Amino acid sequence: MTFSLLHATDFADRLLYKIIPPLKAGMIVLADRYAYTAFARDATRGVDRHWLRELYSFAVKPDLALYFRVPIDVSVDRLMARRVKLKFYEAGMDLGWSTNPVESFRLFQGKVLEEYDRMVDEFGLEVVDARGSITQQQQLVRRLISPYVQEPPMEPTHDAA
Amino acid sequence: MMPLDASPDGANGEIQAGRYYGRGVPYLPINDYPGKLIAIEGTDGVGRTTQIQLLREWLEVKGYGVVETGWTRSPLMQPTIELAKSSNTLNKLTFVLLYATDFADRLEKEIIPALKAGFVVLSDRYIFTALARAGVRGVDGQWLRNLYGFAIAPHLVFYLKIDVEKLIGRVLESRGMDFWESGMDLKHGDDIYDSFRSYQNKLLREYASMAEEFHFRTLDARRSVDRIQDELRKQVAAFLEPSEKPIEPVLAR
Repeated sequence: MTFSLLHATDFADRLLYKIIPPLKAGMIVLADRYAYTAFARDATRGVDRHWLRELYSFAVKPDLALYFRVPIDVSVDRLMARRVKLKFYEAGMDLGWSTNPVESFRLFQGKVLEEYDRMVDEFGLEVVDARGSITQQQQLVRRLISPYVQEPPMEPTHDAA
Repeated sequence: MMPLDASPDGANGEIQAGRYYGRGVPYLPINDYPGKLIAIEGTDGVGRTTQIQLLREWLEVKGYGVVETGWTRSPLMQPTIELAKSSNTLNKLTFVLLYATDFADRLEKEIIPALKAGFVVLSDRYIFTALARAGVRGVDGQWLRNLYGFAIAPHLVFYLKIDVEKLIGRVLESRGMDFWESGMDLKHGDDIYDSFRSYQNKLLREYASMAEEFHFRTLDARRSVDRIQDELRKQVAAFLEPSEKPIEPVLAR
């Protein structure tokens, strides 16, 4: 519970200082993770799903939410290839499911992915297959984003002057 | 973020003492713990802490194990809350959430273990303080009740009720008016006296509005310390030792 509430506090702070002001100013805000991360991660830790959704009801609903889906094995392989040292909480070590960090990560993040999958329909997340190449993914992302971003009509002001 | 269904959340359903108000903490199911939770509520400077000290001694002499818990006293959050208060970046939402985190920490680490072990837990303030403060600051009441749905409904809630005139006298005689207790963050003016008066008036109204909903036992806190204590002990004794009362219905059969 405290883990969940601390993250919610941090989120509220960022929402009010970093997200809402630029939105008011008409800017585009790119959020690397959003409330969905909390829904997935905290539910995996045994926090009530409904309570979480109500807790985060102060959050702004994104115009577009992208979910980069990747199978747990690919995720583990990528991290291992980069020799990333797994963080304690990221690997869900606090849950005591395994004393081996990699095994714990696999178990914990596997459950987290299941939670994300449950949210695809609930919140209308746009799924991006993250097994593909970066270029492929980026092309899809740009296609998905384009309806939301109206490019301002460019007037050839300089030439006309 | 999403349409909310009208599920029996928060305090709208039937409150059961010793049970979670709302959805609770799923990984900590409560199964009729032997301990009892007694909350003493009331605004700043009303005399809660004095009453709790006296009550504690009395209960211990009677042979009860007593554990005390108080607002923002969690080892996890106290330094953070103090730090946040001293900076100017807190707003009502982060304020509410920091308090809730502190409460969650004490609930999991102090209150629930003590109830499991059969202690009488005396809580100096409870979630009602958070609800009142946030209510004055305009935070949505239903959202707050859902947030605190993980709290346990106390067996007894005593509300030390006072009027603002009497309160002002008492606070000035003891330690003076404090920035937060005067609601100076609400920026209703520079004058601490005026701010204290208007803020505490609003707080008292918030507490009053919760009395029925959360089954407060209201005590007149304008009386002397001893008289309030007598009343407290009478009610606590009647709750903890009901077997000492005559059991007439049984005899009548």
